[in-house]
Amino acid sequence: MAIFISGGCKNGKSFFAQRAAKAYGAPLYYVATMIPHDGEDDARILRHRADREGWGFETIECGRDILGCLECADPRGAFLIDSATALLSNEMFAPDGFHPDAAEKVAGELVEFIRRAPNTVVVSDFIYSDAAGYDEWTLCYRRGLAQIDRALARACDCVCEAVAGQIIVYKGAIP
Amino acid sequence: MIFIIGGSDQGKRAFARETLGLSEGDFLICSEDTREIDFGFRCIAHIERFALGCVRRGESPEDYWRAHLDRLGDKVLIADDISCGVVPVDPTMRAWREASGRANALLANRAERVWRVFCGLGQVIK
Repeated sequence: MAIFISGGCKNGKSFFAQRAAKAYGAPLYYVATMIPHDGEDDARILRHRADREGWGFETIECGRDILGCLECADPRGAFLIDSATALLSNEMFAPDGFHPDAAEKVAGELVEFIRRAPNTVVVSDFIYSDAAGYDEWTLCYRRGLAQIDRALARACDCVCEAVAGQIIVYKGAIP
Repeated sequence: MIFIIGGSDQGKRAFARETLGLSEGDFLICSEDTREIDFGFRCIAHIERFALGCVRRGESPEDYWRAHLDRLGDKVLIADDISCGVVPVDPTMRAWREASGRANALLANRAERVWRVFCGLGQVIK
């Protein structure tokens, strides 16, 4: 059963996702989606790697075209995709330019991914409740991520939000 | 009255259509330029934009709703939750956030049922 987890920054999403992925009891794959752009990104990746140490994850680097992961991994394995947020950013703001319709592609690919590999946990970020004014690109990105989130919430068996390390379940039950 | 709140783009109107049997023509979509609410509609959406218009005109959205509570009995009201970011630097945005929060609290308090919509899924919070 596929699991979707979202929530604010530093609320325990990744920790919950790692635990949930491990609970599938299958070979563990961590789909690393961030394409590093600077030293800050490198440091974040090192921090996340250290967090995962000892969990037994095999890391697959995949910043876009996520279905490609399944060519080099066993679809019966347990996958942790962290995160939809980074995938959309990579696809929408690609080196070859701005792709306003990227969310449609990412949502379609992620839904197909969990159809082929049902033991998957997908992490996203809840960025929808502030009063800031944003430029058109940012608004397009935020609308796009919400579109992906809703598609995943429909397709996943279990939908949760992490708040201060606590998990609120909106759909299904945590296995 | 039914009050629905949630982050932007969470599928609140679709949720209202599916759960409460509303159709496209039932929705009044407010903007900053909405000065008077047309209570002929069953559902009043984006009341946070209406609140921003009120604030820009120096009015209080909370006072407006309080003055029209008798019109809300059979209505569905929908608000984007704008309360969770950093305190805005711009004074108007700051006032908007506070006025919006106060209006939401009044409406949720008077509602028979309050839903929060998260990624298209509703949770009863009252």
